[in-house]
This record gives sequence, C-alpha cells and structure tokens, in this order.
Amino acid sequence: MRNIIEIQNLNKIYDTGAVQVHALKEVNLTIQEGEYVAIMGKSGSGKSTLMNILGCLDRPTSGSYVLDGIDVAKENPKQISYIRNQKIGFVFQSFNLIPRTSALKNVELPMIYGRVPAKERLARAKELLEKVGLGDRLDHMPNEISGGQKQRIAVARALANHPAILLADEPTGNLDTPSSVEVMNLFTQLNREGVTVIVVTHEDDIAAFTNRIIRFQDGQLIEDKRRGEHADF
Amino acid sequence: MLIFENIKLALSSIRVNKMRSFLTMLGMIIGISSVIAIVSLGDTMRSAIAKEYENVGSTLGYLYINSPDGYYTDDYLFTAEDKDMVKEAFGDRLTYLGFNSSSKATMKNGRVTKEGNLIGLAENPAEYKKLNILKGKLFSNLDVENARPFVILEEKDAMELFGSIDVVGRTIRTVIGTETKELTVTGVYRNQDSALMKLLSGSNNTRFTAYVPETLIFPKGSTAWSLYFCVKSSYNVEEVGNQVARYVAKIKNKEESQVMFYSAQKEMGTIDSMMGGLSAVVGAIAAISLVVGGIGIMNIMLVSVTERTREIGIRKALGARTQDILSQFLIESAIISAAGGAVGTALGIGVVAIGGMFVNMAVVVKPQVVIIAVVFSAVVGIFFGLYPAAKAAKADPIEALRYE
Ligand SMILES: Nc1ncnc2c1ncn2[C@@H]1O[C@H](COP(=O)(O)OP(=O)(O)OP(=O)(O)O)[C@@H](O)[C@H]1O
Ligand SMILES: [Mg+2]
Repeated sequence: MRNIIEIQNLNKIYDTGAVQVHALKEVNLTIQEGEYVAIMGKSGSGKSTLMNILGCLDRPTSGSYVLDGIDVAKENPKQISYIRNQKIGFVFQSFNLIPRTSALKNVELPMIYGRVPAKERLARAKELLEKVGLGDRLDHMPNEISGGQKQRIAVARALANHPAILLADEPTGNLDTPSSVEVMNLFTQLNREGVTVIVVTHEDDIAAFTNRIIRFQDGQLIEDKRRGEHADF
Repeated sequence: MLIFENIKLALSSIRVNKMRSFLTMLGMIIGISSVIAIVSLGDTMRSAIAKEYENVGSTLGYLYINSPDGYYTDDYLFTAEDKDMVKEAFGDRLTYLGFNSSSKATMKNGRVTKEGNLIGLAENPAEYKKLNILKGKLFSNLDVENARPFVILEEKDAMELFGSIDVVGRTIRTVIGTETKELTVTGVYRNQDSALMKLLSGSNNTRFTAYVPETLIFPKGSTAWSLYFCVKSSYNVEEVGNQVARYVAKIKNKEESQVMFYSAQKEMGTIDSMMGGLSAVVGAIAAISLVVGGIGIMNIMLVSVTERTREIGIRKALGARTQDILSQFLIESAIISAAGGAVGTALGIGVVAIGGMFVNMAVVVKPQVVIIAVVFSAVVGIFFGLYPAAKAAKADPIEALRYE
C-alpha cells in the first residue's frame, strides 16, 4: 500500500497578537491508501487544526505535508483549489450545505468547479444521492430535510470528484445516535470500496467503526493504535 | 470562468432576494430613464426646430444696417427703391426678395371680429414661405405688383369668421391702421407649427395670422428695417448674402461692417449647438444619478457578500478558484445593473413618448443614446461590483467557514 498522507515535523502556531497558540507540535504521521482512521483527543487538542491542514484549507507554520505525492506547501492558490476539488472530500460537523440550493445542486457543485460536463455531472450526482439513500430527495432544499439526511448529502458531495481522501471533522457531532450510526455505516461501506477515510470524533462508539485510532493532546500526537494490536481494539 | 453557471447562480440569487434586487435596480432605473428622457427631449426639440427652419427654407437670409448710435434715420432703412436696386443687381441669384413686413389689423365679418397680424409676401411667395394651402392658392407675382387686396387665411380663422373653410372668393372687411379694405380670400392654409413652435413663437388661438401681398401693407414711400431674401439653391447662401451686404453698404453709403447679414442656416447652427450643449449639460447631471445608482449596487453587493461569507467558504472548500468566486459576484452585479438599465431605458422612452403625445410632437430617441445608456449601466455594475466581488474572492476559507 502506498502512502496517501505523509506529514513530517508539522507545526501550526496561531498568532493572535497577545498570545501565540501552538496548536500542533512536531506532528509526524503517515496514512496509507485505503485506511480508516479516527482522530481523537480533548477539546482544543488540535484535531480540527490538523484536519484543516490535511484538507488544504489552512497551511502549516512549518513542516511538510505530502498528499498523494504532491508537496502541498509548494503549490500556488490555483493548484490548491484544484487539490481541494479533486483530491479531497470534506465533511463538516455543521453539514455546510449551500442554503436554498437543492440536494442535487449541492452534490453537483464540486463537479461544476471541476469543469465536469453538465450531463455527466447530473448523472453522477444522482448516482451518489442514490448511494447515500436519498435518491428520492434530489430536489429537496437543505432546510426541508433532517440532520442525518443533510450529512448524507454532504458525504455524497464530498465523493463527487472521486477524492483521494475523505476527511470528516466530527461528522456525527450534530446527529442523534441512529443518524450517527447511519453515517458511520456509510463511511465503513465507502472504506470497503477503497476510499481512505479520516474521522475526527470524541466518541469511542464512533471511533470503534474505524481500524486505527490516533490520539492528540495539547497539539501532540500521543497515541497511534491499529485494530488487532490491543485487546480492546 | 463558469460564465453560464454563474449567470444561473446570479439569476437565482436575484430571484431569492426579489425586493432587495428591485430596490437596488431602482437607482439604475431612475438614472438611466432620466438620462434617456432628458437627452431625447433635447433631441426632439432640436429636430422640431430644424423642421421649422426647413419650412422657412435653408436658402433664407436677411440683413439690416446697424446704427452705431442706436438712432435710426431713414438712411439706415430700406425703401422700395433700394429693394428694386438689389433685385436688379442680384435677380439672377435670388428667388425671393422682400421686407418681411407685417401689420396689425382687425377683421370683421358680420358679428365676428378678430384681431391679428397681416404678413406681407413679395414676388415668388412660395420660395419664402412654405404654406400648406388647403383651399385656393398663393398670390401670383402680378397680384403682388398690383397690390391686389387678396388675403390667405388660416383654417381656424376662416372657421371662426365664416363658419367654413370653403371661403375662397369671399371678402372680408379688414381695418389696417386707419384704412379699411375689403380683402378677397384667395386661399386657406393650415398651420403646421408644432406645439413647441407655437409656444416659442407666442402665437395663440385668439389672434389671426394672415398673408397678404407685401405691396398692400407697404405702400410707396414706406421704409423697412430689413431685407429678406432666398438664394437660388445652386448658389451658396453665405457667399451671395455677403455680396448683397457689400452692395447694400455701397448703395446706402455705409461701412461694410455696419451691414449685418444673417442666414437661416447659420442661425439654426447656433440654436442647434446651444440646444446640444444644454442637453449635454443636463444629461451629464442626470448621469451623476447613474453613479449614485452604482454606489447603491456596491452597497448591496457588499451586504450580499458579507451575508454569504459562509457560502463563499463552502465553495472554496469544494474547490472554487478565486476567479470563480470573483466572476460569480461580478456577473450578479452586472446583471442587476444591466436589468436596471434595460427597465430604465424602457421607462425613459415611455416618458418621452407620453410627453410627445401631449405636445403633439414626433419624439426622437436616438439608438446610440439607448446603447450608450445600457452599456454604461453594465459598466457601472461591473465597476461598482468589482470591490465587493474581490472582497468575496479573496476571503480565507477557514475564516469564511467559521463565520456565523
Ligand atoms: N483561528 C484561530 N486562532 C487562534 N487560535 C486558534 C484558532 N483556531 C484554533 N485555535 C486554537 O488552537 C487550538 C486547537 O484548536 P482546534 O480547533 O484544532 O481543537 P479541536 O481539537 O478541534 O477542539 P474541538 O474538539 O473543540 O473541536 C485551540 O487551543 C484553539 O483555541
Ligand atoms: Mg474541532
């Protein structure tokens, strides 16, 4: 298996003027293609900071990040947009669907920015919504559906351009248990189909769906466990 | 650039915020419609005046002698003999030569009495005054020579005096100064002046304007201020006019600079450029309202960008490029202002058309005015949309996603 994510000596310092927050400290991490990873840690331990850097929404203060063979630090804004569009699928805690825009349109969006022809786009969006079990909700607006359904639309949208990694920052944080299980089952299914999935969560039940758990504390990677290495996992 | 997708996006965003979009457009609508209305009004007046001069004739010129001390003795005025001398010398180049004399008079038929003006026409009257004769005909040169007591009445005056316009051959008792004459009606004409011209010339419905042979109201021994003439179309009015002016200076023993010559063409040019300048100035003032409209667009676009900060963040996270976001907002502001421009154009033309209906004038709306107005409004939209769009485009995705 090849490495899809390679992180070396990664640091992120937020400079808010008065205080400097060292959100990530010398993080080293390698994730291989097809892995199913949970990132855990207390609030403020730097999980979201790492996810934003992995998703190319933010840049590290120092250290290197190679995604699917691309050294992200060296890319210009246009190429960063291209990487976000083609390599990364991002699922947020608060869904982040575009308001007043149908489920179908939301799923089409990454393909619009990827310049996928309209016909192909439509077919793929329908196929994805069917895959997440919302084939009958194509024309529904985000305010007309439940949180669990919103998150499944967001997952469909994240998959639109066949990304190399699927990043989910507390995807079940706003969902009740049945909806959380639904979303996690979806991730598991996608991972079985070969998608690399990284999920941030606070809950052990959610982390239990994955095959590898990485723990953060005060910006440092303190634990990295794979299924089978320990009795409880 | 995703132009097609962005146009669809812009349209749906305008649809979602109907009222706000309309209020934003209002600035452009008012600006564009007032520019078009004002400029077209000016063009309409100019064309009306141009038409009036066409009726008078572009071959027309007149001259008078300017007295340096403002005191006019007989040697500054023209007699019938002066006119004959000019006619002798320039008869081959002139089609008409007269004094443009007029006289107050009172007409009476039975119980009906009307006050008004008699205007004298010299030989070849058709060359000087293009009258729309409904009944009868103009005077012949013999009529003028022999000072025959003929008159051409306006349609409405004939109706008032006789109750009919079939009055050719009827006579009317007319008091001219102290004299009373029986004038025979030889023709009835229709006043073709536009409402505007009637307004400008101060003619009103209560007074009559009738035409008589000049000799009838200009007996031997009278003097006149000015000489009016029409130049044959194969000659240049300015050239011949200046020759006549020099000749007049010679026969009246005056300095050439004292003889003032004006041609209708030159006068019209002056009025035309005056009117043009006026509508340009007023149009420029109206154009300021376009800028105000543009600022309104910028204001709303800024609000819209702020409101949609989170949406912008999502789009960027999904891979939208800077230019994709830029064109999304630019296209939106351009569409708002171009739509405002189009509605404003329709409104402006409508206002001018309705105004034209009221004063009974054919209105002139130049296509280039419309094109300039609409293009200008789109440019205003893009210009004032640029700052908000750039603000949106360079938003940081993390910050934008965190925006509540
Ligand atoms: N934009 C920012 N400016 C300054 N400090 C920040 C910023 N974003 C995060 N931080 C700080 O960085 C640290 C890590 O934050 P981060 O959001 O990564 O934590 P987290 O592990 O995701 O927490 P949670 O579980 O609550 O989501 C925190 O101390 C936080 O206050
Ligand atoms: Mg977080």
